[in-house]
This record gives sequence, structure tokens and C-alpha cells, in this order.
Amino acid sequence: MKVTFKIWRQENAKSNGGFQSYEVDGLTDDMSFLEALDHLNEILVGQNQKTIAYEYDCREGICGQCGVFINGRAHGPLDNITTCQLHMRSFTDGQTIVVEPWRAKAFPVIKDLVVDRSALDNIMEQGGYISAKTGTAPEANAILVGKDVADKAMDAAACIGCGACVASCKNASAALFTAAKINHMNSLPQGKQEAHRRVLEMSRQMELEGFGSCTFTGACEVECPEGISITNIAEMNARRAMAKWHNL
Amino acid sequence: MFLRKSIIALTGLFLCIFLIVHLSANIILLLPQETARGLYNAYATTLRESFLIKIVAYVLYLSIILHVIYAIQITFKNRRAKPKKYLENKLRQNSSWASQNMGLLGVAILLFLVVHLANFWARIKLGLGEGVRLDDNGHVDVYEVTYSLFQNSYYVFFYTVLMVPLGLHLHHGFKSAFMTLGFYHKKGLNILAKISLAYAGMMSIGFGIIPLMVYLK
Amino acid sequence: MVLYAKIPNGPLENKWRNYQITSQLINPANKKKLNVIVVGSGLAGAGAAATLAELGYDVKCFCYQDSARRAHSVAAQGGINAAKNYQHDGDSVWRMFYDTLKGGDFRSREANVYRLAELSAPLIDHYVQQGVPFAREYGGVLVNRSFGGVHVQRTFYARGQTGQQLLLAAYSQLYKMKRAKKVQMFPRHEMLDLVVIEGKAKGIVVRDLTTGELKRFAADAVVLATGGYSRVFRLSTLAIGCNGSAIWKAHKRGAFFAAPSFTQIHPTALPQTSEAQSKLTLMSESLRNDGRIWVPKKKDDDRNANAIPEEERDYYLERRYPSFGNLAPRDIASRAAKERIDAGYGVGRLKNAVYLDFKHAIERFGIEIIKDRYGNLFKMYKKITGVDAYEEPMQISPAAHFSMGGLWVDYELMTTIPGLYAIGECNFSDHGANRLGANSLLQASIDGYFVLPNTINNYLANALKEDHPTTEHPEFEKVEKEVAAQINKLLFIKGDKTVDHFHRELGKVMWQECTMSRNKEGLEKAISQIQKIKDAFWKEVNVTGGHHEMNTELEKALRLADFIELGLLMCTDALEREESCGAHFREEHQTSDGEALRHDEKYSYVSAWEYHNGNFKLHKETLEFANVQPTVRSYK
Repeated sequence: MKVTFKIWRQENAKSNGGFQSYEVDGLTDDMSFLEALDHLNEILVGQNQKTIAYEYDCREGICGQCGVFINGRAHGPLDNITTCQLHMRSFTDGQTIVVEPWRAKAFPVIKDLVVDRSALDNIMEQGGYISAKTGTAPEANAILVGKDVADKAMDAAACIGCGACVASCKNASAALFTAAKINHMNSLPQGKQEAHRRVLEMSRQMELEGFGSCTFTGACEVECPEGISITNIAEMNARRAMAKWHNL
Repeated sequence: MFLRKSIIALTGLFLCIFLIVHLSANIILLLPQETARGLYNAYATTLRESFLIKIVAYVLYLSIILHVIYAIQITFKNRRAKPKKYLENKLRQNSSWASQNMGLLGVAILLFLVVHLANFWARIKLGLGEGVRLDDNGHVDVYEVTYSLFQNSYYVFFYTVLMVPLGLHLHHGFKSAFMTLGFYHKKGLNILAKISLAYAGMMSIGFGIIPLMVYLK
Repeated sequence: MVLYAKIPNGPLENKWRNYQITSQLINPANKKKLNVIVVGSGLAGAGAAATLAELGYDVKCFCYQDSARRAHSVAAQGGINAAKNYQHDGDSVWRMFYDTLKGGDFRSREANVYRLAELSAPLIDHYVQQGVPFAREYGGVLVNRSFGGVHVQRTFYARGQTGQQLLLAAYSQLYKMKRAKKVQMFPRHEMLDLVVIEGKAKGIVVRDLTTGELKRFAADAVVLATGGYSRVFRLSTLAIGCNGSAIWKAHKRGAFFAAPSFTQIHPTALPQTSEAQSKLTLMSESLRNDGRIWVPKKKDDDRNANAIPEEERDYYLERRYPSFGNLAPRDIASRAAKERIDAGYGVGRLKNAVYLDFKHAIERFGIEIIKDRYGNLFKMYKKITGVDAYEEPMQISPAAHFSMGGLWVDYELMTTIPGLYAIGECNFSDHGANRLGANSLLQASIDGYFVLPNTINNYLANALKEDHPTTEHPEFEKVEKEVAAQINKLLFIKGDKTVDHFHRELGKVMWQECTMSRNKEGLEKAISQIQKIKDAFWKEVNVTGGHHEMNTELEKALRLADFIELGLLMCTDALEREESCGAHFREEHQTSDGEALRHDEKYSYVSAWEYHNGNFKLHKETLEFANVQPTVRSYK
């Protein structure tokens, strides 16, 4: 199988980037997309050229480190997967594959396809936790959590923090990411004590980081590898309103 | 931004209610000419003379202004959040066209609104342009203004075609206003999506078909 | 040198309490003055960094990923064990201790393993409090399920994403302490060497992966929490970035490396399908509850699986282990698969897999039940392979998974370098020669949250009296120069082969000779082959790009350079241990029916290797079993 990769190359955060095309032969359809890029990099080394920088770690769809825009879609042409779960069988022989980094003001490009997503960590820092010191916990079954509540919390908690929601959103909104974390913690009894503070501070930080507002296009939930529902954003809005009311 | 978003949503929903009232009145235009003229003019006069309606009218003006201003602000802020666009972006595979183009649709509706206000509001309320006569009952003959306007095929075309962006804008806006305001009940949202479609279709077709019917009468 | 494990006095049940009573404490006002470096941000690293910060120490935490939340703890699927006895099925701390010790084939310390079991129950309380959405019954209490090798249900889980949920909890606590300005985070920073001053660990040299800049950090103690090193096989279930460099550098600076060759091979991963493959994805072991494993009875049978009639299938696990069958422990299932594959009965494109068949289960329970139990796994299988496993059997194959071995640590989790600690998978402590399922998340968490924060004070109390180390010390200068020299050397070789080429070569040798089944001849051959790979690597590798920029090729090269040396030690260790135990199966030492044969009288010790100018010297920590009698594992 032979394809042409049209890839965004950018030396560093300050330089201007541009697209470069690479024809790559000798691929097989059961190779993963990232393995095809690995293959290209080995060819580049053979030509004494600098390799293309792109991110990955676990390569099994859970760490959230990989993520590029492939042929006009975050994480490629399939719904609800990560880049590392994409295989070359999703492309056709001779196809041109456009590969771009996540685009958002809050995600500056570091090099080639690598972007800085620490803005997401910054949101987490403003309350994406439960303030309980090690050693202070009561017996685990002392506080009951209904199955429906636990399941719902888990649905939101599944977020892997890859940033596809931001990348696919025309407004570069991090609302789905932020909402998922808030709803996970705020719906559990353990997280209730600081629920109001959490939703206000995390949503505030989201704005400060330069992410846009949610206009409910729904693109994020289609690209989210964990299929986190957009209703989480509505729930965050409700929780935020309640917190504001509470603080009046 | 959350507050401004909520205001856009609230004003939007208020405008949605207004559209229902507006459309129900417009149905009068479909009656036989003599009945329609009397009823329509009487209705218009009642509205103009009611103190309550006056307040509602000012709320309406304010709603439109806030909806537009905040939408512009947020649109620009959102654009700044995404300074660089993708070379290739297949948005249609993950979202509806309307949801991606609410701003553009909004501009089209605003354009419509300007013409619409010039045609009616400016003539009747501000007395600009050609004067308006009274009908047999002594009411201002708003019907005549409407009727004569819709004898002009260009206007009919304009009034009909621009109801398409209105429908699209409403279809996305109605449901997402609820979500912005924090309505997150899953089944409720599924029902809301259907209501949203039905509502947008009704408004768009309703408003769009009346000028055409009047023209063809 | 005599290895002193510092095991506290008293009966097994009281050892940890006795330790805490007698260890030195530090006044809260003084803790502020003490700096601790934590390398790694997985369950062990993040848990330790957050807890140490809560106690008042100043903590710096490093990870090579772009965020602490990526650490590979995130990928553990199954669950975490705890002796809560919520199921009322006879579980207890003692039973869990015994299961773990036996699972490890009696090659770990009683005191450490007991502590692991003892602290497991409060750990679940802790995670629940931190907001981990564990599976619940309708009535709101926690659910348990069973896992391989035990007769009780003690595994807690959050869907198939338990590791992710625990890691996110640890990460959130880490960021809580970052907000409190007690933790400084350094993502995209990779430790390249350890700085030892006057025999004590006093800091590290790291490379900023964004700019390529080398940076020095000094501290009163250094904690390594860098995870497993199974990427030495190249193809493994580990994340691509997982590496052994930090512990290898520590080893070269004087820390002993214990049981390096004890590597767990997981039986149910997806097979390699091409030379370019970078990763073997794990399929949850739970599949073996309903799936039947088989290979064709005929060699090189090229027929489609469904075309092979029942009587021509060899259900080899059921044949060899009638009582446990398809649920035999990991090491046994893996070894049996390799035996069939090596004998020429393997299936799949590269003839390196066996079938895991759900046909009978679907016939028996109906497709809906199977969908309900394994739907997400079948979906994942289809995503990766494009094959519908409801229609034809899955192809699975053993894959390198967990490193039981690691830096030798004492009861306090301190290595042989004072002030240097190793926690989580990167140490050798609790799993012996084989780890039980759902015990890895447990050990990492216990080390990080509960043990280290209660032992490090015993060392730091004395550090208070000493001068604080500074990065101006000549030793920092020297180490940084050595690191820079190694980087420059790699960049200037300009050979004609890629880093991945050498990694593939190393992986092939290691996989062939140092995994499920080992023998003297093979290991000796492997050592000389790895030596050749090492020489070739330093002559022929081509690392493009520069030092002072983001350079993923350079990162890979640095890690591989250490893997090659580590591979040598692993083979050396496997060669030295003339017995079979747990994951370490020496073909020369088996019973007449092909089962592992342990030699307790000669090998009941932990092998701890000292590095000396490229050679390895063996030290032995004798294992004493005062509370249990080592028995023979039998799964027949």
C-alpha cells in the first residue's frame, strides 16, 4: 500500500510552519496509522533528515497523549477513537492523507504535530480533585453510592484528556473536558462538599486559558474517544447556575 | 461569558415565543380579503394601544439588541480561540451545517429584519415614507401595507427565501438555548430535539408561505 | 557487602506497626526545609509526591510525558485487590498475603508481602474518598470480582478502566498539591542520570524534552517511580515511552538491581502481525473465563479457523491442565502457548498466535450474554484487527508485560544508595517470581501513598543535620558533562541504521531467549548476540536532529542504549538461576511432565546485582520463611 502524507512541519513554537508531502510505499493495511508514521520516520533517518515529531505513549487508546487532525477529522475518519487506534485499512491505496496538529490558541504548537496541552492540566488544578489528605478516609462502604450514580460518574470520568474536543470544536472550547471532570466529582457524595467551588473555579480557569465558548455543535462528542455525551456540558451549565445562586 | 451566553439563550427563547404570536396573527392574512382586512387592522390597533404590549415591545427591542451584540462578542471571542484554521476540516461528518454557521444565519436574519422593519415598522410607527391610510373602521390600514408589499414579486421572493436561514437558526438555537441554560435531562433532550425540529419547520414554512399565498391570491 | 533488608522485629502482624513506632519523626516546621525529587508520575510517583507534599516536604515531580495523567498505570484494565472480605467468602489479610507469596513462587519477602496485604483495605477507603467511581451494587455497596490464582473475590474495579481511574485520582491529588505550591511539576522532562555525593543520592540531571536543555536538580532524597522495563523486548504491552533508563543509571551509580530477569508474560495479547508493529495490545484476561484456547492438530494448517473440524483441534490447556484448563495462571498459559507455537502449530499471518474461541460459549449462553460480558473487548478487537470475533475465533499470543524485577530495596523501599528510593514497578519487592493479577495497581499505590511517606522520614531526619545539597557541587558538573558527552557521542555516530532497527534486533533476541522458557545455551548465545548489538549500535546508529531541540529520535536512542545493557543483565541473571520458579522457567529444571522445578535449598534468595565497570557482581539476600512453608504450585 502506498499513500502520500501531507504533514504540517514546524521547527519550534516561534517559527512558521508549512505542509510537506511525503510519498510512502510498503505500508500494509493492518499497520496502525502511527506505525505508518514510524515507518516514514525511519525512511527520513535513512535520508539523514530530521524526523517528524508527533505524540503517543500507550498506543492502546487510554493515555490520551496521541492526537492529530487527519484528513479533516480529529483522530482521523472514524468516530470515537484515538489516533493510535486508527489503522491504515481505513485509507485507500494511493490516497493523500493530510495530517495537522490540534489547532487552538490554548494549544500552541511545540514542534511539527506536537502541541502543548498544559492548559487542560491548569483547569484540573483549579478544583479537579477532592480535598482529602492521605489517611483521612472513612471506611469505603460507610458512604453508599447508588449504582446509577456511580455509573453516571464513571461515564464522565472516562475522559482521557486527549484534547480532541477542543481540536474539533470550531470555537476551540474545552467545555466537554471541563464538564466531564466537574460532573464526575460533583455527582459523587465525596465530591459534594466543594461542588460549588469546583464548578465555578474550573469553569473560570477554562475561560482564562483562552478556550472559546460552547455553542453545542456536537462535534466534540463524535470525536471523543470515550464518547462522552455533550449533555455533560448542559449539566455543567446547570451546576454553575446553582453554584452562582448558592453564592448570592 | 457564561452570563452573556445565558442572556443570548434567554433572549433567543423570548424571541421564539414572539415568533409564535407573530405567526398566529399572520394567519389572518390567509382569510378572504374583506374579513382579513378588518380583523388584521383591528388586531394591529389593539396591540399599538395596549400599555402592556408597549412594555413587551420594548423588551422585544432590547432582546434583539442584546442577542445580536452578545452574539457578535462571543463569535469574535470564539474566533480568537481558534486563530489558525485547518487546511482540511470535514465538519459535516461530526456536526450539522446550521450549528457551525449560526453567525452567518444570524446575519441573514438580521438583514431580513432590517428590511422588514423598514417595510412596516418605519412606515407605520415612525411615519416615514409613503403615508398609510385608515380603513373603513378608522384603523390604520396595516393590511393594505402588507397586501401591497406582497404584490411585489421581489419582496415575496425575499420574504420567502430568508425564512430558510430562520428555520435553520431556530432548529439549532432552540435546543441549544435550553442546554446553555442547563437543561440536561437525556430523554428530555431527545424530545426537545423533536420539538425543536417541529418548531423550526413550522416557523420557517409558516412565515415563508404566507407572502406567497397573499401574492397568489 | 551484606544486604540488610531492615525487617522490623516482632510477629508478622506487628512488624509494620513496630516499624512506625520506632522510626524517626520530623517536626512539621523542619519538613518545609526538606526537598524531595520524585521521578515518575504514575500511581506510585503521583501518590508519593502528593502525600509527601501533604506532609510538608517540598516536592519536585518529573515525567517524560506531556502530562502526569499519561503515566502507564492508566492502562491497567482489570482491577485492584484488597483484603476487605466484603463478599464474606473467607478472605483475610493472611489469606491475601499467602496467595501473593505463593503466586510469586516464594521468591519474595514475607514481611513486605504481609504489609502489602495489610494496607490493601485502607487503600480502597482512600481511593473511594478521592472520588474513584468503583463498580457498585444497586444497594450502593462496592462490588468485587475474582481474578486468576485465588479462590476469593477481592478485586475492586471501575469498568475495564480501573488503572485509569486510580491514576486520575492520584493525578488530581498531585495537582491539588501543585495548587498549594507544595509540588512543582516538570512534565516533558526525562531523568538522564543520578547524582551521588559522598555516597548519598542528592539530585538528578534531566533533559528538558522541549528544548533539549540539560538541567540539574538537587534534593535531600530522590525517589524513583519509573515503572516497568518490559520495552526491552520492544514488543510489549507497555507504553512506547516506558523505559528503564532512570533505574539503569541509578544501578550504574551503585544501586543493586534485583531479579532483573523475572518478567511476566501475559497470555492474552494480540499477536504481532508485521515487522513494523510497535505494540502488543492486551486483551483482558477475563476472556479466558468463557473462551477456549486451541491450535490445529496439524502443523502449518492454513485453513480458516471455522473450516477446521472439532476433532482436528487441540485444546492444549484443557488437555494438559484438566482442573484449571483455560484458566491456568498467566505463566503457565503463556508457556504452553509458546510451546505450541514453537512446535509449529501457531496460527495467523506470522504463525505466532493461538485461537481463543467463543463458539461454544455462544452456543451455550447465547450471543446476548457474551455481548453483555465482553462486548467492549470484542469491539476493541474489531477496531484493531478488523475481525468480528463473534464470527471467528480471536487470535491471541503471549506478550511481555510486567517486570517483577527492579532495583533492590529494603523494607523502607530504599535502594543500596542511601537517600535513593524505588517505589512501584521499578523496584523488586512484593511479587517474587510472578505477580498475581490485580496486584500491580495495589503495590504501586501502597508504596506511594502509605509506605514511602512513612519511611522516608527515617532517613530525612538525619539529612536535616547535614548541609542541603546545591547544584553548584562539582559532582553535578561532572555528571552533567558525562550526560552531554553521551548525547554528543550518539549524535555524531551518523551511521546508517535507525534506532528502531537495533531495538527490533534486541527485542528478537530477548524474546527468543529470555521470556517464558529459557536454557543455558540460549542465554549464553543471547549474551553474545546482545554484546554484538551493543557494539553495532554504538558504531552504526544514525540519530538525526540536534541536541537543543525536541528530538524524539534522540530520546529513543538514549533509552535503547540503556535497554541493551539491561538486556545483558537480564540474561546474566536468568543464566545464574539454575532452577525454575514463577515466570522464570529453565528448561533444564522441570519435572518429568514438563512443570517448573524449584530448588529451594540452593536458590531461596533474591539475586541482587552490583554494577562494576560493565560487569555484574551477584549478591544474595537469603529469603527466610518463618511463617509459611514454601509449597509446590500445582494447577493440574
